[in-house]
Amino acid sequence: MSLFTKLSGAASGVAMLLSATVAQADVLFWSTQAKPVEEAQAMRENVLASAGEVDYQPNDGGPWLTRLNAELQAGSGTIGVLGALHGDFSAMNADDLVDLDGLGMSASDTFNNLAKLGTDNLQYIPWMQASYIMAANKEALQYLPDGADINALTYDQLIAWAGNVMEATGEAKFGFPAGPKGLKHRFFQGYLYPSYTNGVVRTFASDEAVTAWEKMRELWAVTNPASTNFSFLQEQLLSGDAWIVFDHTSRLAQAFNERPDDFVAFPAPAGPTGRGFMPVLAGVGIPRTAPDMDAAKALVQHMLKPETQIATLRATNFFPVVDVELPGDLPPAVKAAGDAVAKMSGSADANPGLLPAGLGDKGGEFSQLYTETFERIVLAGQDIRMVLDDHKPRLQAIMDASGAPCWAPDAASDGPCPVE
Amino acid sequence: MTTVATDVAPPDARKAGRYVYGAAVFLLCAWVLVPLYFLLINTLSSPESVNTFPKAFIPEFDLGSLLFFASFAGMLDALKNSILVALLTMVLSIVVGAPAGYALSRFEFRGKELFRMLILLTRAFPLPLLALPLAVMFIRTGLDDTVIGLAMVHTTLAVPFAVLITFSLFSGIPLELEEAAWTLGCTRLTAFTKVVLPLILPGITASAIFAFVISWNEVFAAAVLTIENRTLTAFLLTNLETSPLHLKFAGGFILVVPALIFIFAVRKYLFAMWGIANR
Repeated sequence: MSLFTKLSGAASGVAMLLSATVAQADVLFWSTQAKPVEEAQAMRENVLASAGEVDYQPNDGGPWLTRLNAELQAGSGTIGVLGALHGDFSAMNADDLVDLDGLGMSASDTFNNLAKLGTDNLQYIPWMQASYIMAANKEALQYLPDGADINALTYDQLIAWAGNVMEATGEAKFGFPAGPKGLKHRFFQGYLYPSYTNGVVRTFASDEAVTAWEKMRELWAVTNPASTNFSFLQEQLLSGDAWIVFDHTSRLAQAFNERPDDFVAFPAPAGPTGRGFMPVLAGVGIPRTAPDMDAAKALVQHMLKPETQIATLRATNFFPVVDVELPGDLPPAVKAAGDAVAKMSGSADANPGLLPAGLGDKGGEFSQLYTETFERIVLAGQDIRMVLDDHKPRLQAIMDASGAPCWAPDAASDGPCPVE
Repeated sequence: MTTVATDVAPPDARKAGRYVYGAAVFLLCAWVLVPLYFLLINTLSSPESVNTFPKAFIPEFDLGSLLFFASFAGMLDALKNSILVALLTMVLSIVVGAPAGYALSRFEFRGKELFRMLILLTRAFPLPLLALPLAVMFIRTGLDDTVIGLAMVHTTLAVPFAVLITFSLFSGIPLELEEAAWTLGCTRLTAFTKVVLPLILPGITASAIFAFVISWNEVFAAAVLTIENRTLTAFLLTNLETSPLHLKFAGGFILVVPALIFIFAVRKYLFAMWGIANR
């Protein structure tokens, strides 16, 4: 019966430990951002240390939303402050978020309007921003096509460049975040479409869109085929599997921070209708079930302070949304990304887009449609015109169901954005 | 072809057979050990060498990645919670599963087949689907964010295995043994504890290990149902995916090692169930 003794010993040990857990009353910061362990650690130690008792818990989107919905349904909760992307907030019911007017605002009216989620009040407060840029291994620079300026590339030059690299090294070394967790859909929505069609929704199935997808195919021909497995291009930059890449600034940061002298960051390429690019916006909000409303509001205000914003920049590589003076000793990744974004938005042919807005819970479906279009046209090699015509009614259905009006660079619309 | 009567293969064939056998054993071992070894090497490597190829065969014993986790807030609590939940799941799933397995194998009752089917149904619904109503209920009943609450969820996941494993174990023990014990003065209970239980202990342990591993590996329910009392898997796994490579390896190592130690500790019960002598 020695096993029984062991088991009963274990059981009593368990009981003792169970009774020893003490509940704490920290403000729970429930976030989908700053998830990587190093960023989470930096958030806890550097950003939130001066904000009182805060329990920072980053999570995947699935558990994040499930837990939040459970608390909203149960009518009582432990989550104090939510940290998430604009898209996560816009998928929520605005009634479930506490109005936050008067707690602070970002310096950008565009962001502040997005944060109202179609209501008259701020539903969340813009917290930090980022964008997507290009980065390259310096070894690739020698293969730049003649006359090409790395800070003012066109898509044709990019394709030629990646082609030169492939010819010289025998390997396709353009890296594209087409992996399961990769942000490829943002490339189509914010970069390829605006650069070739000056739109995203209206021009989805236009003749210009056919040209855009033809270019995408050309680019894919010189892309590392393992890209369907790449989700964080910093890894491939560091391992040398890719020399020229496109990705989210914070998903390239590790490469610049580890080997700042080996890589360059530069603006996204331009097409016939300009240099399309789009921002990423994260915000902080408070669910109506927050246990300690005052503490939660204090934490939201803390996040907007200039010094917190700079600490956040160091921790996450997301840029401030309020006017701050950036110190000189920022990490290499921040400098590189900041320069590239500044050149991109300051370029003569800049064609800035906006985040998809007003899609509500259709946001996921909207992005999925662009991903499927990519998979069918580029990976499966199906006829471009056929696929676009096939997906056009689905896109229109999404726009009609959500009632979302057009956003830049599409021309404004009355009512749901039409797919032309 | 050779006839049935040939019981001695030609020496060549026997030698070849031994090679094939040896190669198969080697391959199977390599299948398990090589990934673990690379995990170890990369855990003990500096961030730079994690990204280089080919890999050194001997680790450089750079403890940077592991030390990062040593200072990572809440690691030890999470480890403790993980072990607690897994142990509770183990105990609960045996306490619930073994009697059900015994009943299924020893008694005839109406709806027995249906019951066997139904018990599998707890695995038919994906957790992300169940997690929302579960979490709502847990918040309302106060089970939310407790070790025991999460252990109950994990028990639900582990019980089908416990029932089916113990069912086949009990079925493998002839009823005559129990009947003989009854005629020799045992009650139903003592016959069970003195005769049947010693015979099936290895099997019980095996299903307990299943329960432990199921609980240890479960992420979604753990991530939704616990906040302050996170398990190690919920605490690390969701964050690791987006972390730099060297931390992925170190975190993976930290997740694997406790489970390995546990299985190593109880291996003799596993081997016993597979009919290999205790050693």
